[in-house]
Parts: sequence; C-alpha cells; structure tokens
Amino acid sequence: MSANNDSNDLEALFDSIAADFTPATPVPAPVAPKSASMGDDDDLQALFDSVSAETQSAHISGDMASGSTENAGESWPAQEGVFNRIGQMARALHDTLGQLGYDKLLEKTVSALPDAKDRLAYVANLTEQAACRVLNATDIASPLVDDIENSSKALGARWDQVFANEMGAADFKKLAAETREFLNQKVPQKTQATHAQLTEIMMAQDFQDLTGQVIKKVVSLAQELEAGLMNVLVQVIPETKRTEEVASLMNGPVVNSEGRTDIVVNQEQVDDLLDSLGF
Amino acid sequence: MADPKLRILVVDDFSTMRRIVRNLLKELGFTNVDEAEDGAIALQKLQGGGFEFVVTDWNMPNMDGLTLLQTIRATPTLKHLPVLMITAEAKKENIIAAAQAGASGYIVKPFTAGTLSEKLNKIFEKMGMA
Repeated sequence: MSANNDSNDLEALFDSIAADFTPATPVPAPVAPKSASMGDDDDLQALFDSVSAETQSAHISGDMASGSTENAGESWPAQEGVFNRIGQMARALHDTLGQLGYDKLLEKTVSALPDAKDRLAYVANLTEQAACRVLNATDIASPLVDDIENSSKALGARWDQVFANEMGAADFKKLAAETREFLNQKVPQKTQATHAQLTEIMMAQDFQDLTGQVIKKVVSLAQELEAGLMNVLVQVIPETKRTEEVASLMNGPVVNSEGRTDIVVNQEQVDDLLDSLGF
Repeated sequence: MADPKLRILVVDDFSTMRRIVRNLLKELGFTNVDEAEDGAIALQKLQGGGFEFVVTDWNMPNMDGLTLLQTIRATPTLKHLPVLMITAEAKKENIIAAAQAGASGYIVKPFTAGTLSEKLNKIFEKMGMA
C-alpha cells in the first residue's frame, strides 16, 4: 500500500458507492464507513464490510427493504447487486495488485501507453504515405506502357500492310521514318519514364525499416502489459471464466492462424466453406 | 463480360483500399465506380439510386459491412443489388454470417486481381448479367 495516489482514488470510488448506499440502508452498517484515524487498509476493509453487510441484509429483508426505503426506486436491489460486485472486484484487484507488486508495473505500463499510441500513429502515417506513393506511381506508369503498346500495334498493322503488298512507295517511306523515330526516341523516352516510376515504387518501400523498428518496440510493450494483466486476471477471475472466449465478428486480420480451426487462411477455404453450405 | 458501364459502389474506410479496388475494377474494364467510406454513407448513396453493384469491406465505423448488407437486403428498392464482400475477417463464423445475410460473394484480404475477376464473373453469371 505504498502508492497512496491510487489508494486515494479507490477510496474516493468506495466513498461514492458508500454514499449512494447510505440512504437505502435498512440496517445500520456494523462498521462506521469512514474514520480519519484509520489506515488505508482498515478503511477499505471497513467499507468492504459495510457494503457486503448491506447486501446481505437486503437479501434477507427482500421486499421489505425496498418497501421501507423512501428514496430508492424499485430497481434498487438490482443496482445494489451490481455495486456490490463491482466493489468486491475492485477490492480483490486492489489487494492483488498491491500484494504482487503489479501496481508499479501497471503504473509504468499506463505511462507507456500514450507513447505506444504515438508510435502506432507514426506507423499508420508512414504506411499510408507509402501506399499513396506507390498508387501514384502506377497511375503515372500505366498510361506510358499502354501508349507503347498501342503505338507498337498501330505500326505493326501498317507493316503487315507492307508485307501484304498493300502499301505504296510514298506511304512506305513515311512508315519507315515513323518507325525509326518510334524506336530511337519514343520508346526509350517512355521506358525511361516508366523506369523512374518503378524506382519510385521501390523507394516507397523504405517505410518498412522504420515501421518494423517501431512495431517491435510496441509489441514488446504490449507483451509486458499482457503478461502483467494475465497474471492479475488469473488471480482474480473465477475458474469457470478462464476458458471463455470472446465471441465477436469484427476481429480484423488473423495475424497467427497456427493451431486454429475456426478461421480460413485463404480464398480457397472460403469458397469450399460456402460450397459446403450450399451457397 | 458484363456491361463496362456497370455502376459500382466501393465501400471501405481505408482510402488506399478503395483506390486499389477501384484500380483493379478499372483494369477489368469497369470505370463507372463511386466510393463510400462507411456503411452509412454507402446507404445514402445507394438510396440516391443508380447503382448496380456493391463491393464492401466488413469492419468500418458508423455502419459495418454486414449491417449494410442486411439493410440492403431488407430494403425493397435495393434488395436485388449484388453485394461482394472484401474483408480481412477470416473466421468461419464471419463467412457463414455473410452468406446467411445474403452476400453474393466473399473475398478475404489480402486478395489478388485474379480472385476479384473470378468472383465478379461468378456473380455476373448467377445474375444473368454476363
């Protein structure tokens, strides 16, 4: 209980819960909710005791309790249950964190999170820039390549006429001159311009080095946080809840498919699944 | 090959992805393409009329792709629209949910130009648009 800041926060939370409870209390709490002389631990313990005592008495007196209460509405027993559970969980978490020394770890992690957020924003920014550079380059290069293809086809068609003896001498001279110009100037110009865009595409990949480093740092932070939280959760969560999976339809890309049977890893499996369902 | 003037709406919250899909569609000969950045905006545009095909992502803010699909299927003026989902969601549950909601096709990211072309053609065949 060395970290007084978070203890005070919890105290304030508990006080507010206790304050909400007081008017509804049919039986006086066995322990005074707050005393200046008490240490932090005693304080919390007292509050916890008073909260659970109230709940028990509420359960016992049932309808009488809500009937005799002036301020509370009919939904009060349900709310009380929720408050009580939150109180118990907060208490358990508070104790566990303190005992295991995780309060320090969490403090460190919480301060590291804004940094991780900035780093991830940086990654998002760089990758977006890279994607735009590449798409711009392909937008510029595509018409150049199309142009070479179309001009080649047009010249080729005219050369076909020559070989079919369908072209006069004047037209042939013109064709020869145009072909020469095409080979000496137009094609090299366009291939050079295309090459420049290929280089641009290559250079746009330089983000990978930077984002890779940043992502590694964020991953190691996340692992630290996960390990800490997992340990806390294993202490706090009841046995039956430990294996429950979070079921959701919006999970984003599967980053590690190893050993999972509930996902597909390629388009073929999507198609097979749909086929098997008759879609 | 379906009508190159087919009016297509591409729905994705990432502009890069919209641009890639748009470029691929262009390569396949479809140039009449509009974009929407989430399901809600897409629905507005669709209700404005004139669209004949929808390509949508799943995970988007405001209205996700599945809700968009369900809304399209529940709207008499829109329910005939082919809806192709292109998404990173790769759980079997997702694919089944999309199929049950009436998706015309399902493509997982990352995908290739070939896959897009194949799925589009399959949908056109089914719809008698080929």
